[in-house]
Amino acid sequence: MDQSAPRSIARRRFLRAAAGTTAGMASWLALGKAPAVAQKRELTFLSWNHFVPAADDELRKQAEAFSKQANCTVRVDTMAHLQMPAKVAAEAQSQSGHDMFRTASSDCFLFENQLANVDDVVAKLGKQYGGWYPFAAEAHQAKSGWKGVPWFWISFPATYNMAHFKKAGFETPPKTWDELLKMGKVLKKQGNPVGIAISHCSDAHSTYWSVAWCHGAKVIEADGKTPAIASDKTAQVIEWYKELYKDAMEPEVLSWDDASNNRFMLSGKGSWIHNPVSPYNAALANKQPIADDINHHGSPAGPAGTHSAPPILGLGIWKFSKNQQLAKEFIQFLMKKENYDAWIVAGNAFNHPPLKHLADHPIWAKNPKFAMLPKEAEFAHPRGWPAKPNEAVQRIDNNYIMADMVAKAVNGMPTKRAMDWGQEQVALALKGQLKAG
Amino acid sequence: MAVGPRVLEAAGSPGAGRLAWLRGWWEREEVFGYGLVLPALALLVSLVAFPFGMAIYFSLSDYWVGSPGEFVGLDNYRAILGNEVFRQTVFNSFVFTAIALSFKIVLGVWLALLLARDFRFKRLIRGAVLLPFVIPTALSTLGWWWMFDSLYSVVNWTAIRIGLINPPGPNWLGQAAYAMAAVITVNVWRGLPFFAITTLAGLVAIPREFYEAAEVDGASAWARFWNVTLPLLKPVLAVVILFSTIFTFADFNIVYVLTRGGPVNTTHLFATLAYQVGLNGGNLGQGAAIALFLFPLLGAVVFFQLRFIRKE
Repeated sequence: MDQSAPRSIARRRFLRAAAGTTAGMASWLALGKAPAVAQKRELTFLSWNHFVPAADDELRKQAEAFSKQANCTVRVDTMAHLQMPAKVAAEAQSQSGHDMFRTASSDCFLFENQLANVDDVVAKLGKQYGGWYPFAAEAHQAKSGWKGVPWFWISFPATYNMAHFKKAGFETPPKTWDELLKMGKVLKKQGNPVGIAISHCSDAHSTYWSVAWCHGAKVIEADGKTPAIASDKTAQVIEWYKELYKDAMEPEVLSWDDASNNRFMLSGKGSWIHNPVSPYNAALANKQPIADDINHHGSPAGPAGTHSAPPILGLGIWKFSKNQQLAKEFIQFLMKKENYDAWIVAGNAFNHPPLKHLADHPIWAKNPKFAMLPKEAEFAHPRGWPAKPNEAVQRIDNNYIMADMVAKAVNGMPTKRAMDWGQEQVALALKGQLKAG
Repeated sequence: MAVGPRVLEAAGSPGAGRLAWLRGWWEREEVFGYGLVLPALALLVSLVAFPFGMAIYFSLSDYWVGSPGEFVGLDNYRAILGNEVFRQTVFNSFVFTAIALSFKIVLGVWLALLLARDFRFKRLIRGAVLLPFVIPTALSTLGWWWMFDSLYSVVNWTAIRIGLINPPGPNWLGQAAYAMAAVITVNVWRGLPFFAITTLAGLVAIPREFYEAAEVDGASAWARFWNVTLPLLKPVLAVVILFSTIFTFADFNIVYVLTRGGPVNTTHLFATLAYQVGLNGGNLGQGAAIALFLFPLLGAVVFFQLRFIRKE
């Protein structure tokens, strides 16, 4: 008992001392710089695991070539694409990480204040190679300047199995989403359902935006601030999805990731998917006989015309990077015609150039199964259209709002309620942005 | 530091007087004691207290990734309570924890009773039981993910071959109830060894005399379990259940790998939703608020459990 007084004083003194030490250590950590050891400049680049792995091999080869030329080292790190948004957000938040990263969709708007301006690079490349496709440009041009250099876009056609269609009595693939529904019903009975992901994966939204636009439906108004999901047009879209889900697809689409539909095609079960050319490329690479049966056709049309939402990827440089100039040089190196051409070949037509003159590459015309792919540039829009892309659009995509809305509806929620739910979620995604500007 | 002064002293260094004083100071109990605690304290402050404080600060401000916002009070908490996805997550978390925990308790005690018996290769099997607990969760869950795959599910394939179900079988990760069953199954599979081994330790500690006395009184096996084993296991069980509740509520890996919270958010738990909203969606303020919701919940669980244990 008599010891309690000094002990409590000691405890207090100890706590004070400990707090001081910790604060001191924290400030030292915050101010501390890496030891100034003489070292070669190192450029670090965070990219995704390419769906055609050979394209990443070529990218690394070119990075190696650049590092020799510029007397530096270039480190290319790649990771699963679905985990990139969180990784990129963590780098923005901690103001440390890679020098540059592969931007997607509306990243340039979500991180507008964090990304360095690349206007000079964009202007130079545009002049050199016949200008940028408008949809690719829009996705990278924020109010305060270009926040990324458009790198490539991925055509999003339909992939179908010609043998299954023939067996079902269809000589030509569907030209419209309605035809797809009609043919899909027959194909499912034959044991070869069609497949559109209704789940938390990027394909689910690539298709949703496309189907919605083809029906004249919107997600946000052109002002970029007003939610626009609740409409008769969206109701039509949801009804179409419901019917397709019930009569032409199987419940597995609710659990799909971005590779599931590829497996679905390659297993020989699936007859039709909405997807880039990766299943065909994989079949070719693995010498699977099904490659002969697989073909592509242009993304289907709807009552409001043909529209498509291909993934549009770019190259962004963090403002916190100390190697901004080097990064700009590296980007120009990657976009050089001979390098870009080699990369198109390595990806076997998967990567489409956002620059008009680079798009002249013979790989598409040479293979009739690829011939229709570049045409998509004529009806492609960045996500969010008719609104200009903005940060809220990225949040809508990252939170899979429309995929969830459709999933609710096909699981039995009345169309109107699902739509109202989607409207509410879009409003929430827009709210942060309204506060910002 | 500990060697330095003595070596210098032996060498007759000119600073020996000051070093001797330093040594004397260092060896005083209150200095030395605090010196020993300091590394642990620094770790706790920088890795637990600091992030926790930051999370509270985030949850009370309109903080988006990379752009600090102003103080908004409890707005984030109000916003998430108004969001249907969050309410669904609260419901999921309780269903997930309640069912998974029940299974782990029953199966865990049962497994412990089996492991307590004498049998051949006892040590080997006791060790093997721990495997699910030892393998990195992300890795083992990938294995399960493949077993539940919509196209190539071995679970369905086997069940169809045996004639248990009709083809094509359930879509494990695509339908709400099945997806929940799948994540619970994996959680139970992973958590069971911890339960069983800890309970086993409790079982082994029960003196044989009690059983002998019970047998003399003519108690059946069931009566022995109910009146001797279970009451004496209670303190151990209470602690295991406490830990397991916390682990289960705060699970992330299993759900993230298997379903990423889908289909339609029916398997989201607090941690996965916080990740989804805070990092993927960029709304750090709300993400932090979601994650912190766990805190009072678990605080209550810990409070009641500890009170129960003390009473016992």
